[in-house]
Amino acid sequence: MSTWAAPVKLSPLHATARDLGAGFAKTSGWQIPEVYSTLEAEISAAERGVALADETANGKIRVEGEEAEAVWGPREVEIGGRVVVDSLHAYRLRRDCFFVSTPPGRDIPARRTLMDRASDQFVTVTNLTHAWSEIRVVGSAASTLMSRVCGLDFAGGAFPDGAAKQTSVARTTQLVIRRDAVDLPAYSILGARSVASYLWDIFMEAGTDLQIVPIGLGAIRALESR
Amino acid sequence: MATESITRAVPGTGPDRLPPQSGEVIDRGARVAFTFDGRAFTGYAGDTIASALAADGVRVLSRSFKYHRPRGLLCCAGQCPNCLVQIGDEPNVRACTRRVEAGMAVRSQNAQPSLDRDFLSLTQLAAPLMPVGFYYKTFIRPTALWPSFEHVLRRAAGLGKVDLASRPDACDKAYLHADVVVVGGGPSGIGAAVAAAEEGARVALFDVEPSLGGRLRFSPSQSGCVEKLLASVANRSDIAVYTDTAVVGWYQDNWLAAVTGSRLFKIRAKSVVVATGAIETPLLFDHNDLPGVMLGSASQRLIHLYGVKPGEKALVVTANDDGWDVAADLAEADIDIAAVVDERHSCTSPAADELISRGVPALFRHTILEAVGSKRVRAARVARIDPLGEADRSAARNLACDLIVVSVGWTPDLALFHMAGGESVYDAQRSEPQATAAPKGMFLAGRAAGAHTAACAMDEGRIAGRRAASSSGFGNGPGGSEVSDLLARKAGEPVRTSARTVVPGKKKRFLCYCEDVTDVDLQTAIAEGYDSLELLKRYSTISMGPCQGKMCSMNTVHLCARANGKQVQETGKTTSRPPFVPVTLGALAGQNMEPVQVSPAHQWHLDRGANMMVAGLWLRPEDYGDATAEVKAVRERVGLMDVSTLGKIQLTGPGAPELLERLYVNQWRKLGVGRVRYGLMCNDEGVVMDDGVCARIQENEWYMSTTSTGATTVFEWIQWWVQSGWGEGVHVVNLTDSYAAFNLAGPRSRDVLQRLTDRDLSNRKFPYMRVRSTRVAGVLCRVLRIGFTGELSYEVHCPASYGMHVWEALIAAGEEFGIAPFGMEAQRVLRLEKAHIIVGQDTDALSDPFSANMEWAVKMNKRDFLGKPMLTRISERGIGQRLVGFRMARRDVVPEEGLQAVRPDVNGKQEIIGWLTSCRFSPALNETIGLCWLPAHVAAEAGTPFQIRRDGELEGAYVHHGPFYDPEGERLQM
Repeated sequence: MSTWAAPVKLSPLHATARDLGAGFAKTSGWQIPEVYSTLEAEISAAERGVALADETANGKIRVEGEEAEAVWGPREVEIGGRVVVDSLHAYRLRRDCFFVSTPPGRDIPARRTLMDRASDQFVTVTNLTHAWSEIRVVGSAASTLMSRVCGLDFAGGAFPDGAAKQTSVARTTQLVIRRDAVDLPAYSILGARSVASYLWDIFMEAGTDLQIVPIGLGAIRALESR
Repeated sequence: MATESITRAVPGTGPDRLPPQSGEVIDRGARVAFTFDGRAFTGYAGDTIASALAADGVRVLSRSFKYHRPRGLLCCAGQCPNCLVQIGDEPNVRACTRRVEAGMAVRSQNAQPSLDRDFLSLTQLAAPLMPVGFYYKTFIRPTALWPSFEHVLRRAAGLGKVDLASRPDACDKAYLHADVVVVGGGPSGIGAAVAAAEEGARVALFDVEPSLGGRLRFSPSQSGCVEKLLASVANRSDIAVYTDTAVVGWYQDNWLAAVTGSRLFKIRAKSVVVATGAIETPLLFDHNDLPGVMLGSASQRLIHLYGVKPGEKALVVTANDDGWDVAADLAEADIDIAAVVDERHSCTSPAADELISRGVPALFRHTILEAVGSKRVRAARVARIDPLGEADRSAARNLACDLIVVSVGWTPDLALFHMAGGESVYDAQRSEPQATAAPKGMFLAGRAAGAHTAACAMDEGRIAGRRAASSSGFGNGPGGSEVSDLLARKAGEPVRTSARTVVPGKKKRFLCYCEDVTDVDLQTAIAEGYDSLELLKRYSTISMGPCQGKMCSMNTVHLCARANGKQVQETGKTTSRPPFVPVTLGALAGQNMEPVQVSPAHQWHLDRGANMMVAGLWLRPEDYGDATAEVKAVRERVGLMDVSTLGKIQLTGPGAPELLERLYVNQWRKLGVGRVRYGLMCNDEGVVMDDGVCARIQENEWYMSTTSTGATTVFEWIQWWVQSGWGEGVHVVNLTDSYAAFNLAGPRSRDVLQRLTDRDLSNRKFPYMRVRSTRVAGVLCRVLRIGFTGELSYEVHCPASYGMHVWEALIAAGEEFGIAPFGMEAQRVLRLEKAHIIVGQDTDALSDPFSANMEWAVKMNKRDFLGKPMLTRISERGIGQRLVGFRMARRDVVPEEGLQAVRPDVNGKQEIIGWLTSCRFSPALNETIGLCWLPAHVAAEAGTPFQIRRDGELEGAYVHHGPFYDPEGERLQM
């Protein structure tokens, strides 16, 4: 057998981030953009306007089946709502379908856990971590930017933190989750990784007048821990 | 009242600039330099192009569409076509609403060689030859000369020039949602917005003007009221205000379109308040289009918003108290009033009393006959109205003036209301339309609803706001006494609109300023039989120009009624359609959003200079510079192709085999775990819709591949059937983006793959049409041994995030075997040599599996599957055409795909018998081969000759059956 380099997982936005001068960090087998300019500048940009981050490394799991709800125990959750169980964030997309988000590298054990819970039921647990990209739109102008690429109502309390909706974003099918960074509005846009690069460019163009900038996961962590 | 000292023109940015006015929108501390037709001008920040030019005494801004008559400011509100100019590469900009910017190069339109001396104005001399609808009657024969006529006509008439070479400005769209949308930011609109918000509704308030206040902005006596109104809206987080934004259309379910600059808003409203006010109506008299003839509200805008004198000496023509208010404003601006001509017998207006007491001539029961002058007003000809109501020409006289201000009435702006299905009737007593039935979720307020005073409008706005809020689920709506009180107050308001729309004369009286249509044109059209309003509109083009009927609709209805001897209320109205104001195509298009899909190895392909091509939404390598060499590499050594674009669908559950049996024409139940089978999918009409392979990964887990362009369609197709009752015990997930897929093909492919995996890849352990899960370059992959190219080959499906790693590992491992990446062009040749079809290229919307030569895949003995009833009929009836291979008689001739196949008929004439779907030169066979559709009897026998019509010549070809290359499939089984 030949030898080969250790496998590295790359986001579909890897080349984009590289071209934008990102510094990368390795986390759970992924190469992730950690910073583009400076941590302070990126935090400030998000607070002033809007920023875009690549969070594709997050685990993404789909749970489908008439008995899918049983996986979460006795908790009831409405369609579009969120339930948190054992640090897993599950969003109900349909009566019989949930989306589960995990931190990077937690997708495989989480899938195993979910399959164990559903072992007696006809429930299909599919790991979509490699299938979907995840772009985070964060900042004081995040809702304004979202309203330029998506027909949903992002103003006021129409789309509260923790809500999830499947919709069209810039003419592509995406799952949009409101995940505020403490006091800053933020949205995660999850969909087919093959259109991630297109979607990133659309956001950057649509946010030009909002002073949009790319930010790394360092800035995201800082914003979320304020 | 203002003193003399503050009303004189002052030095500044033009001789006609007034001292500061309360409520003006210009910043006198910021000068802005720009050019108009190459001449330098200076305005103030906040000036419109037109106000800045007017301040410098410029009166002619454009030339008319047909006769090239000079035109000046008429409405000053973006409603008429008189001030259309070109700015850089942007045509048809309304100078009266576009704010002036430093360095702006403004040019006049439709004037040759110049605005001042336009030789095409001689067109007026030929007016008798160009009556209404002349383009339906003249320039028709001789037909051959039409291109010349068209060239001349298009140059003579027009609205600016589009620069096809210029890059459009960035445009975008945004979506808005509101419980209550209020259209119009005047007193009624603001009242409605505040009232709705107070009930708890989320409100969006739109106004086309740069700031709220409506007409009150240029009514100095109401300045305190404006401040109160603005204060009531300010700092309310529940009212989002959008100024400079025109709501241009209403669509089903209160879906509104609005435009601001280059941005289009799409607005979803639970309910809508239409508070769009009223549009001042022009009067038709001889030469009523002469520069210097202006609507009353236009003169007020110039004075109060921009501090500009619209003229030195004015004649005011009116039929209501509004006209006297205008005259008072003019007098305060130090404009000499030649006279106020009022068609009424008398009036009780305080402004009239004041002016008359100051010696302003008041000519009651008079009207205007003509604007006198050539390129601008020099005088006005006026006459008494006789007891029959007609102008008495025998006693006409000229009054010297350079400004004729017309203020004879208003038309409620009901366009949005009508678009939404609202109904109105003509109120003969008030001489204006009155709304009757409002559509669900829409409420009317203010001048649009017939209120005449600001106080009434505001109160009506509050009532409409509460109604709208209630309709959206907030509050209980207004009280009954409140409504009845308002109705009583409205009924007591004075009539403000005159029924007199035209003063007959002997010269041109323009009804439609956009298309240069006169009242005589209208009468001619009616005399020719176009007597219904909609026909009249289409024949004369009235209301079809840039103003979209704002200046002419009501007068047209009046004239049409009169010509037909009917009442106005019997005549009806033209249909309101969006857009209500002109919208640029860029704003409609918005940001370019054409999704593009790329594979995980996309960057590698770009870095290696691949020529990319579009396939569906995907960008794929067509070749890496030499497709023939790529074909050769696969046939002789090994090649690697990125097939990540293939659709990949996972089916899980005990119901999956049954679902597959129904979806495909093949059999699936007995396929063993670890095996792969080719699958052909038909729709319910028996037409081939997709193909691919399907692997049984585990007892209850299946992995289906589809064509690249069919992935989404097939997934939705399956979902449709699953949700229609075939989904018992099966879950379907689209994994197209989950896996990168690479086709390693060629006689050395096993050697390459073996370098990267521990699994025994021998033919015995991993035979043809099998699937295995194994680590490749350290990554757990699904490997399918299948062969579209006709060589020993493997499809390696790996998690997409590892795609680049696995691709690079395969390339590196293949170096010692001479591996080459290959693109779609090489694949097309390779599969053609095997006579494999491409669904969508070799098949079309009528191709069934029998005709497509794939009857071997159809298992008619299955209980049921999609398309079976139709395929049963076809199998009984027989096929007409058949997809079959062909070889060219001349080996090196490669006919283009789509060419016709022909054969001589019984008379020796070439008869079209079919068409080519695929054709390539095969390096392996050293000849040209292809696939084509031929009549079944022609295709039945190998070697049957036919011909292909190419560039007028006939090329010989022969029918071929089966694969061209390796017909026994031995190379697949190596």
